[in-house]
Amino acid sequence: MNPLRRRSVRDLPPAGKLAAYLVLGGWALVVLFPLYWLVITSFKLPIQVNSGPFYLPFVDFRPSLDAWRYIFVDLRDDTLRPYVNTVVVALGSSSLALVLGSAGAYALARFPYRPRLGMIALAAGCLALVAVAVGLGMPAAAAVVVAAGCFAILAATVGRRFRRTLSNGDIAFWMISQRILPPVAVVIPIYVLFQHLRLLDTRTALVITYAATNLPIVVWLMRDYFAKLPWELEEAAVVDGASAFRVFRSITLPLSLPGLVATFLIVLVFSWNEYLLALFLSSADAQTMPLTVAAQNATRGPQWWYMSVLIQIMILPVIALAIVLERFVSRGLLVGAVKG
Amino acid sequence: MDARLSRGGVSSAAAGEQARTRSQASLGASFVVRAAFIWPALLAILFVSIYPLLVSLYISLSRLKLVRGGFEFRFVGLDNFRDLLSGDERAHFLGVTRPPSPLGWLVLAAGLGLLGWGLYRAWRGGVPVAGLAARLLGAVAAAGVLWLLVRTLLADGGRPGTAVVTLVYVLVGVTVQFLLGLGLAYLLTQGLPGQRFFRVVFLLPMTITPVGVAYMFRMLADTGKGPLQPLWAAVGLSGFSWVNDPWGARVAVMVGDIWQWTPFMFIILLAALEAQDQDTVEAGMVDGASRWQILRHISLPAILPVCATVVLIRLIEAFKIIDLPNILTNGGPGTATESLSLHAYIRWRTLDLGQSAAVAYSLLFIVTVAALSFVNLVRRRVAEP
Amino acid sequence: MAKRPIPRWAACVAAASLLVAACSGGGGDNKTQSTQGTGADRHKGVEVTVLTFTGPQIAEPLQRRAPDFNQLTGANVKIVTVPFADLYDKILTDLATGTNSYDAFVFDPQWMGDFVPPGYLEDITDRVKGDKTLQWDDIAPFFRDFSASYKGRTYTIPLDGDFQMVYYRSDLLKRDGLKPPATWEDYLDIARRYNGKDLNDDGKPDYGSCIAKKRAAQSYWMSWSVAGSYLQATGTSQGAFFDAGTMKPLVNNQAFATALDVYKQTTQYAPKDELNLDVGDTRGLFTSGRCALSADWGDIGTLAIDPKTSTVQDKVGTVIMPGSRKVLDRASGQLVDCDATRCPHAIDGVNHAPFAAFGGWSGAINAAVDQKVKDAAYDFLSYMSAPAQSNEDVTLGKTGFNPYRTSQFSDTQLWVKAGMSKEAAENYLGAIRDSLESPNMILDLRVPKSAQYQGVVLDTAVAQFLAGEISRDQAMRQIEQGWDKITDDEGRDEQKAAYADSLNIQR
Repeated sequence: MNPLRRRSVRDLPPAGKLAAYLVLGGWALVVLFPLYWLVITSFKLPIQVNSGPFYLPFVDFRPSLDAWRYIFVDLRDDTLRPYVNTVVVALGSSSLALVLGSAGAYALARFPYRPRLGMIALAAGCLALVAVAVGLGMPAAAAVVVAAGCFAILAATVGRRFRRTLSNGDIAFWMISQRILPPVAVVIPIYVLFQHLRLLDTRTALVITYAATNLPIVVWLMRDYFAKLPWELEEAAVVDGASAFRVFRSITLPLSLPGLVATFLIVLVFSWNEYLLALFLSSADAQTMPLTVAAQNATRGPQWWYMSVLIQIMILPVIALAIVLERFVSRGLLVGAVKG
Repeated sequence: MDARLSRGGVSSAAAGEQARTRSQASLGASFVVRAAFIWPALLAILFVSIYPLLVSLYISLSRLKLVRGGFEFRFVGLDNFRDLLSGDERAHFLGVTRPPSPLGWLVLAAGLGLLGWGLYRAWRGGVPVAGLAARLLGAVAAAGVLWLLVRTLLADGGRPGTAVVTLVYVLVGVTVQFLLGLGLAYLLTQGLPGQRFFRVVFLLPMTITPVGVAYMFRMLADTGKGPLQPLWAAVGLSGFSWVNDPWGARVAVMVGDIWQWTPFMFIILLAALEAQDQDTVEAGMVDGASRWQILRHISLPAILPVCATVVLIRLIEAFKIIDLPNILTNGGPGTATESLSLHAYIRWRTLDLGQSAAVAYSLLFIVTVAALSFVNLVRRRVAEP
Repeated sequence: MAKRPIPRWAACVAAASLLVAACSGGGGDNKTQSTQGTGADRHKGVEVTVLTFTGPQIAEPLQRRAPDFNQLTGANVKIVTVPFADLYDKILTDLATGTNSYDAFVFDPQWMGDFVPPGYLEDITDRVKGDKTLQWDDIAPFFRDFSASYKGRTYTIPLDGDFQMVYYRSDLLKRDGLKPPATWEDYLDIARRYNGKDLNDDGKPDYGSCIAKKRAAQSYWMSWSVAGSYLQATGTSQGAFFDAGTMKPLVNNQAFATALDVYKQTTQYAPKDELNLDVGDTRGLFTSGRCALSADWGDIGTLAIDPKTSTVQDKVGTVIMPGSRKVLDRASGQLVDCDATRCPHAIDGVNHAPFAAFGGWSGAINAAVDQKVKDAAYDFLSYMSAPAQSNEDVTLGKTGFNPYRTSQFSDTQLWVKAGMSKEAAENYLGAIRDSLESPNMILDLRVPKSAQYQGVVLDTAVAQFLAGEISRDQAMRQIEQGWDKITDDEGRDEQKAAYADSLNIQR
């Protein structure tokens, strides 16, 4: 039950309630009207769309199932395949991101990391060395071995002199800063990367890429959450001899279910709707739904009727999932329930 | 730049973090365990992020040419950046600058005054020289941005370039989204009947693919066959073509952006509000505090860290806005609605990879500075001990 | 669960099917066939992946006929589609990085300027010469000699004829005794006359002219349709973008200035957000009767007869792109009157230069794939273009294929069968024929980085000019400087050579 429910003892005065409902209703209207327009557009013929706004089916215009038939019957396979791909890729990448990300977030919230700035610079320098060597013609394996050797030697000798350290906050900032570059700048390098790995046009490539690009968000959202968790329970378990993994799995995760669910939803939405990376990493087999939506803009201009159908079938699973999971969210990203 | 944040653990947040984490570590988490928790995430991010970052950097310093058998990159140094900042692309990127109007002078003076006052306070507050130097640098950068904004936006005949337009989108968009999201989330924690319905409805816009949202708004905004036409006529705006007016078009983009991304703020702030510590809230109510007082003195401080996080995330994402200006007006009229990401995309589409990467890196630079400033100024103060 | 003995009949069936499978060669093994012979299984087991953009235009006929072709030849042709806006990038990234996931493309031959010099496309000159079913000579000379070839060699098979024409409301012009516009002044006069009147009896005022002027869409082609007849007069080889001898852009002179003024003036008689309309919108407006005039590719003709999209069936007339009585004198940069030497192809003193904008969707083959795959891909493209298939497809609006073969517009019956009235069909085909047979058709720009010349520099400057962000002279200077910069970047001599090659100028 919503712990704030008790507030209803001192309910809003009628004027306040009215004002609240006006605001809520107003925004609900703003949200729902475009969606309503979308739905009725999917029941219109091209001529009805182009001749001006018609608002009410059966009153203003005669609805037709033409667009729906085209998408589901004429284009059956071309609709089904991207749909399945989208579901698989989104669920897979979100789960992967959630697992890796919450582990990382927990680590950043509980363990002190003090990476030495010097060591990082050294590692970066050795990587650059590898790049230059390969660029100059050295075989990759040899370059990596040599660089690793250099790093080991330098780390053991000069490395001890490095004092300046970074904090967990710096690591977290570095993670979120990976999201700053717009996709357009990274898409071709990623394309070439997966081409070398022979993973182009596979769902695997998409899952890996989406998980990696959404990891920072998981880390940031869960880190705040874990930080707020009072850690007496964990402390007790650790004192009793439980390993960190055990604590994480049996105590922290169950307590943080609401936060996990909310984060999962957000990351799922991001993966579900990703366009540019999907465009380049897929060609025939791994195409996802955002591509089919964008593809409705062809040489004759956007085909609103087909597009509306596609958008609707794209939204429905996400909405369904959100409705199901919503009650987890309402129990809160930040727990207070432990105390109560 | 990261070192600035960790200077001896000065901030209370970092100190608190260290205090708490030290206990866990001291109770037995070994090196292996600590590595096992963090390295998978680090590796995944490194794998997919670092390589493109470096390659893009190289591309931004070169020009692409298609040759027999493939393509080649011709190194041109900082040429691409020079074009953007002082060459042919300057008007497109930064804008056309003109002497500020009286209002512009006012804003400029106020802004510079604020920066100066901040520096003065830091100096009097005993911040060490290195810190002062860093703040001075930051203030100079901020002053530069302010100067550019004033001379393009608040000047007769000035025209904002893609960098300025993007800044406007971000500042207005994130602010409105935050306030709206917070307001809606707050209202839905007041125990009103029917709130579950509203919660689901308010979540809807974010679930639609951005390309889909952009096309939807294009349909709506069409003055010929869009549904809002009678509304405009009723308000007397039927002669106004928003698409031909630079600011009209920009507002349309911002409306679409706000519509789509308010749910992001909403859902996270809602969860945060719901999870507040009930004892303090009840104590407040028992003591006779009004709703407003509870909000201001209890709820808001409690959720401030989450607010900071969510604003930071949204800030970073907002700078990358591309689908709405692209699909609503393709960056038009002229170049009025073009954002930095769209600027890079249009270049990239025609294989001008060098210029595209240069614009992307400029975006990277701007956003990093903005994010760092935000983290330093806001998040550090509100992050929990 | 106890094992039950397998019934004997099942065992027999299993054995039999194994036997059959073994004997049929298992699909992938049998790959011997001649290059272009007949024979039902000549491409047996060969997989061909063809890339184009998501339809239904262009993709639909390919997807519809691929199974037939597969049955005829045993090949396995797969059609893959991507969003239209990203087709160019997809193809180029695939080819330039050596990924080669696609064996053939149906794309815009304008892009040959980027694809041919690096050697990405297969030279099919000899195949085409020996191909009887293709009937190469039936294809209109412009598409045969210019659009499909580069430096004298053939690289693509045309599937569609794309050039722009002007459409008008024949019922209105007939009612008021007007002739279809022959010059741009006529166009503006007619637009002015009908602007603001109710043209489709719905009580709302309509527009004189609807041209797609949206930025980063098709506006830069429309602008060149207007400018073309001022710039090119002596034939396709003269070129309309640069001076072939010096590679100087033809954009900073009195002729282009006049064209820009005309282009901007059409906005006055257009919907107020014309600057945000792309072809989807303008076609929708025209076919719902809200425009008196429009300039567009061939799609309006077929869209107008489809009752699902049009309320102006039989009210649409087509005419060759309006021209000009004055043309550019390249030496002086001034507009001079047409005469017999300057405008040898003028009709009634008016120089027409129909613009084959974009070029007409054509099929090309990836030069880096296996020989057998190339053979199969060639046969498929040839099959699509052969009169037996093509002549039917060009009459269907949903295919997006417009006529490009002489045989296609000599027989009006096909079109009448598709739904046009005899008069409308003759009018439509007549305009197409006039355009196709014009020796002064403009070949779209086909040099490396053409997308930057047009899509970035020209498009941005025109958009800014139309929006009032910059003046006309500023726009012209901006285009000239931008184009010169790209030319110098690529190498002036190389670009000059490429330009000459694309125009098949013998050097």
